[in-house]
Amino acid sequence: MEELRKTYHNTLDQIRADVILLAARVAESVPRAAGIILDSDLEGAEYVIKADAEIDAVAVELEERCIEVLALQAPVAGDLRQVLALMKIVAEIERTGDMVANICKVARRVYGHELDPRLRGLVGRMGEQAQAILLAAIDAMRERDVAKAAAVDDMDGYLDAVQKQFIQTLIETHHGTSDDMQVAVQLAMASRFFERIGDHGVNMAERVKFIVTGVLPDHRKPERAPVALGDVAHPEAGESA
Amino acid sequence: MISKVLPNSSDTYQEPTTMSDNPNQSAGTPGATDVVFRTSDLAVYYGEFRAVRDVAIDVHRKEITAFIGPSGCGKSTVLRCFNRMNDLIPSARVEGKVDFHGVDLYDPAVNAVEVRRRIGMVFQKPNPFPKSIYDNVAYGPRLGGLKKKADLDAVVEKALRGAALWDEVKDRLKASGLGLSGGQQQRLCIARAIAIEPEVLLMDEPCSALDPIATARVEELMQEIKDQYTIVIVTHNMQQAARVSDRVAFFTTEVNTESDRRTGVLVEYDLTKKMFSAPSDERTEAYVTGRFG
Repeated sequence: MEELRKTYHNTLDQIRADVILLAARVAESVPRAAGIILDSDLEGAEYVIKADAEIDAVAVELEERCIEVLALQAPVAGDLRQVLALMKIVAEIERTGDMVANICKVARRVYGHELDPRLRGLVGRMGEQAQAILLAAIDAMRERDVAKAAAVDDMDGYLDAVQKQFIQTLIETHHGTSDDMQVAVQLAMASRFFERIGDHGVNMAERVKFIVTGVLPDHRKPERAPVALGDVAHPEAGESA
Repeated sequence: MISKVLPNSSDTYQEPTTMSDNPNQSAGTPGATDVVFRTSDLAVYYGEFRAVRDVAIDVHRKEITAFIGPSGCGKSTVLRCFNRMNDLIPSARVEGKVDFHGVDLYDPAVNAVEVRRRIGMVFQKPNPFPKSIYDNVAYGPRLGGLKKKADLDAVVEKALRGAALWDEVKDRLKASGLGLSGGQQQRLCIARAIAIEPEVLLMDEPCSALDPIATARVEELMQEIKDQYTIVIVTHNMQQAARVSDRVAFFTTEVNTESDRRTGVLVEYDLTKKMFSAPSDERTEAYVTGRFG
């Protein structure tokens, strides 16, 4: 079978490769943000916040390249789905980068406050799970694997459960002072940012399904069953124990 | 010869069925509820050579159906079956069935001239008669017995308006049709085809000899007249199929075991939006995305 339009397809492949690269870069920064909170790493926080501007710039550049392909090459069928999905995925990645920067801003605001050991453990877990979700979505994208994409939603259920537990623990360990209250609010927000990162990963995986099958995400699906933490083994449990 | 009477579309009106994934069922568009042509197991031979095989397509009323595919895939051959144009090629032979409102077009009792009156055709190259613009359009109605000048004037004006050509030629109706530009000539041929009020217009690459502006005019014209006619168009231009049609049939060629000539085969037939956003068959995907030519 003779391949026509090689240059155009190379352009598409390159955009996809660069989107995956950007996603990987953001995924890598997620557990780092958790570490920055845990280590009170102000220098690291500064670095990650500054790096977010670069991620935003690359995201805009990728979007421009998608628009150019749409305008000049009039992609159809699988190619069209890919370009449309990549534009959405780039937006998810960009937003994820913002979440990571926000977590680092929380690290600055809670600087100098000792965290309860239970909270520390949960921050670490949220960082790892949010990253695992992003990596699974990236894998699904790279391999155009619908089954892997479908698994991302379940992984997000676990992250949501950890975040709920984090909020519960915050309430239990709260001492009621005004100073303590401010730290608690900041930490609650950080946990929410981790939880949002998981949602962005799920959205990315949904777009992978669209690329492969042409079916748009169905938001009318029944709510997923609540995940009890005891039901799901922590992915890193074996190694960290 | 006994001429079998072709039914009118209103005689065979079928109530719309419910929406389904079956592309051979109606898209649910208003006025597009019944089947005009239904082919089954259609194959066309030129002598011993089988040019196209296993074509099963329902063409729906007042829709634009486009045939796309690489050269030699049989799309024009199938189109020509719809008004028995293949009869004019001595070696051509049709197997299977082509039903027009439930009547087999190839039934010996069916009058081919009547078929071609009901099912008009526009060709790749504009082919006006070497006559005046007026006489080109009046030719068919005159053959049909229309004689009064006032009646003919009315028919000519209606057809030229229908083909979006009236304003450009109304002051020079006696001028030769051959003096028009290519795009105007093609619209004159469309006017000539619709002057006899056919039910169906078959268009065999009607824009391939036209510049982009003339092409856009013909495409726009197709949209304007599709509420009155059922249109089947063969096109090499995939974007044209995407722009104008409601449904698309993709044909390709396959290698014969017995000879080195290729036989055309219908790969996929579905709503245009489906064919260009998420086709079901890998071969369609490869063709529309330009991975194979």
